Amino acid sequence: MEVVLLLPRPAMSQPRVLPQSKETLLQSYNKRLKDDVKSIMDNFTEIIKTVKIEDETQVSRATQGEQDNYEMHVRAANIVRAGESLMKLVSDLKQFLILNDFPSVNEAINQRNQQLRSLQDECDKKLIALRDEISIDLYELEEEYYSSSYSLCDSNDLPLCEAYWRQEPAAFSPEGLSMPLTAATAEQSTATSQSSTPSHPHVNGHGTGPTEHS
Amino acid sequence: MATHAVANERLRALEELEREIGASLQSAGNVILELSKEKANERALERQAAQFSAAVQKVEAELSAQIRYLTQVATGQPHEGSSYSAGKDCQLALNRVDYARLKLGELARTCEQMLEP
Repeated sequence: MEVVLLLPRPAMSQPRVLPQSKETLLQSYNKRLKDDVKSIMDNFTEIIKTVKIEDETQVSRATQGEQDNYEMHVRAANIVRAGESLMKLVSDLKQFLILNDFPSVNEAINQRNQQLRSLQDECDKKLIALRDEISIDLYELEEEYYSSSYSLCDSNDLPLCEAYWRQEPAAFSPEGLSMPLTAATAEQSTATSQSSTPSHPHVNGHGTGPTEHS
Repeated sequence: MATHAVANERLRALEELEREIGASLQSAGNVILELSKEKANERALERQAAQFSAAVQKVEAELSAQIRYLTQVATGQPHEGSSYSAGKDCQLALNRVDYARLKLGELARTCEQMLEP
C-alpha cells in the first residue's frame, strides 16, 4: 500500500494543504476502483457459494444456518459499502473533471463569452436603431416648431445658442468686468435690446461685437 | 452548442455511471432474493445475474476510461480563465437599454400629459 509523504518545497512558500501530485491522486482513484469492484464481485460470489446446502456439517444445521445467515449479512453489507465507495469515487471524479479538464473548461468559457457578446451587440444595435429613428423624428419636430409662428413670439423662444449668448452680456455687465470692453458691452446691451436682429457678443474679448455697434 | 455539450458530456456519462452502480446492486439483490425462494425461477436468475455482471463490468471499464483521460489532460495548475469581462460588458449594455426605456417612458408620460384636455 502506497504511503503519501509530505515533501518539503524550499523554493515555494505554499501552505501545506494537499501534497498529492496529480499522478498520485489519479493512481489512488484507480486503486479505489479496482478494490471496490473486486470487493463487490468477491462478496457476491461468496454469498452465492454460501447458498449451497450441504448435507454433512461439522455443527448442527441450526448453528450452520445461523452462521451462514450472519456471513451473508456481513457480505451484503460489504457489497453495499463498496457500492457507496464507488459512488464517492464518481463524485470525486466529477469534481476533478470540473476543475482540471482544461479543454472543456476553455470551451465552456469561450461559449459563454460568445453568448454574452452577441447579447451585448444585439442591445447596442437596437439602441442605435432607436437613436436613428428618434433623431429623424426630432428633426421633423424641430423643423415644424421653428418654422411656425410660436418660435418668433418672444425672445425667450429663441434657439438655445442665441438665447445663451444674448443672456451673457446682461448677466456679466452689472458685475463690472476688468476688461476694457465693459463699457462697450453695456452699450451693446442697450443697443441689442432695441434692435430686433440678434447679435453675437463675446465676453472673452474677441471684440467684433462691440466694434460693430460702436 | 456542440462545444458546450462536449463539456457536459463527460459529466452526464459519470451521472449515468452512478445510476449503473445502483442498478448493479439492485440486480445483485434480486439474484439473492430469487435464490431465497423455495422454487427459484432459473431464467429470471440467469437474467439478473447477467445484468449484474454486465453492469459491474461497464462501471469498471468506463471509470477506467475517465481516469485515463484525466491522466492525459490534467496539469495540476488552477484554471484562471473567466467570462467576467464579457459579463460586465453585457450588464452595462443591459443597463443602457433600461436607461433608454426609462427615459422613453418619461417622455411618453410627458406627451400624454400635454395632450390631456
